[in-house]
Amino acid sequence: MSDIKSKIKEFIIDNFLFGDADGLNDETSFLDEGIIDSTGILELVNFLEEEFSIAVDDEELIPENLDSIKNVAAYLEQKIKA
Amino acid sequence: MILPACTHIHHFLENSALRLPDKVALIHDGTRATYAQINNAANCLANWLINNKVFPGDRIVLLLENSLEYAVGYYGILKSGAVAVPLSTDIKPDALNYFLSEIEPAVIISAKRFVRLFKAADSIILQKSKILIKNYSAILKSSGLNSSSIDVSDFDELISQDLKDNPKIKIFENALASIIYTSGSTGKPKGVMLSHKNIATNTASICQYLQLTEKEIQMVVLPFFYVMGKSLINTHFAVGGTVVLNNKFAFPAAVINQMIEEKITGFSGVPSTYAYLLHRSPLAKKRDQLQSLRYCSQAGGHMALAVKKALRRALPDKTDIYIMYGATEVAARLTFLEPNRFAEKIDSIGKPIPGSKVKLLDKKGHDVEPGQKGEIIASGDNIMQGYWKDEIATAKVLDDKGYHTGDLAYQDQEGFLYIKGRKDSLIKVSGHRINPQEIEDIMLATGLFIEVAVLGLPDNLSGNKLVAVIVPENGDCTEKRVFEACAKKLPKYKMPAEIKMIRALPKNASGKIDRSRCIELL
Repeated sequence: MSDIKSKIKEFIIDNFLFGDADGLNDETSFLDEGIIDSTGILELVNFLEEEFSIAVDDEELIPENLDSIKNVAAYLEQKIKA
Repeated sequence: MILPACTHIHHFLENSALRLPDKVALIHDGTRATYAQINNAANCLANWLINNKVFPGDRIVLLLENSLEYAVGYYGILKSGAVAVPLSTDIKPDALNYFLSEIEPAVIISAKRFVRLFKAADSIILQKSKILIKNYSAILKSSGLNSSSIDVSDFDELISQDLKDNPKIKIFENALASIIYTSGSTGKPKGVMLSHKNIATNTASICQYLQLTEKEIQMVVLPFFYVMGKSLINTHFAVGGTVVLNNKFAFPAAVINQMIEEKITGFSGVPSTYAYLLHRSPLAKKRDQLQSLRYCSQAGGHMALAVKKALRRALPDKTDIYIMYGATEVAARLTFLEPNRFAEKIDSIGKPIPGSKVKLLDKKGHDVEPGQKGEIIASGDNIMQGYWKDEIATAKVLDDKGYHTGDLAYQDQEGFLYIKGRKDSLIKVSGHRINPQEIEDIMLATGLFIEVAVLGLPDNLSGNKLVAVIVPENGDCTEKRVFEACAKKLPKYKMPAEIKMIRALPKNASGKIDRSRCIELL
């Protein structure tokens, strides 16, 4: 789990925060904090699909699954198990 | 529905508050606010502004996401006679310094999320304005802005009274109501000055052609700081409808679910909104549950034919599609295509909206014949007063003929308009003048990509070379396949010389493709 979280965090920091992780914790909402826009969500989804070999269903594109490091990690765990 | 003639924007809200006080006007997350509540809160703000020596013509910056506070702020500013200047919520500290220096606002209305931005901005510039922040006293007094040098107050405290009486301030119909900055594909952003009359007449015209009534429930995913977003709140408040604000369009499934729950009747987007919905959302899958959806409208630039056709297939049969055209400089809207002509005139932007006129003029200023290309020149009560503090830019686009849009178009025999690129975006390659939009449409029709931007880069040999920045639909899209597919559809001189694949095209905050940032990627 912590490995998954650190991979996601690294992706977010590298791609959206340009190395500046100030203020990003596991529960920070990507959208509310202006870290990711809709283009960014697609990038995140592509990353998850490639990195973790999962298929993200269109109906799964909801904040509960994807709007924080914690939510993404919980979603991934459930996808990988399934 | 015929609206009573309105010359002032805030009268739309005031009339609806009088007629339908308890009707829900705005829904956002857990908030459901009625017309009376919004009008009373806007009255409080207007009185506060008046009592704090804000005079007609003074500028007030709105730096807020779509929210109840935005609506209260916007109408409260207008009621006081001041000028609403919404800024993009994507703004960076340097840009904020620049805009604040240019606007010299008396007051800035904002929210918690932007405190970090204010801290990074120039405090000497910030000290010149009063700042109102939503819920400031509860959350931020300890960790907020340094209040000894910067004048910060709590927005909620100012608007908490129940004030039914609308302020009695004399505001002329030609008085400046709002300055809206254009996203501008190149150069520095320009502040478009719109009067009460500009916006009020355009609002009434839009209500008329979209046949809006108080039954309307609009899903708003476009930001209010963008002119099309602004027209959504004004039109729906004018007819006494309801706006549902969803700032989470990045999660399209959540938006579709809310559209079903709230029985949404209208949805509006720019081309990328629809490209995104069609690519990654359960829209088609849930179409049978979208039975209340009366119409979808699209403006904010040309939408590719392939996207229009895919949208038609994905929506319920009875949902109308309105293709529309406009600009910030015309207070939002200039033309629209009647939905019953959609299939037949699919690439047209339709005809002028009620109250606006369009002419097509050649380089010498003469009217062109049907079928001939000319620049779209717009006139009517909706045409802006000019650009804020920029007389040179104003003189370039406004004259006695009207507003020169920079868009090239032709008219068919029935008077339907077809855009054929922009005056300043044609790319000259080996002597050919190429409209990048045409190539993008053809490339999108191959079905290999989600998005394409065709750009011109300087080239020693041909003057410019075409480079296509593409977002592939899936992993099967190789460079070889792209070139093969293009070669079947495009003559050699229109073929991109290079292709660059990326995950997503850069967009500005209103969802339009940001071409200068695309070029930076190359």
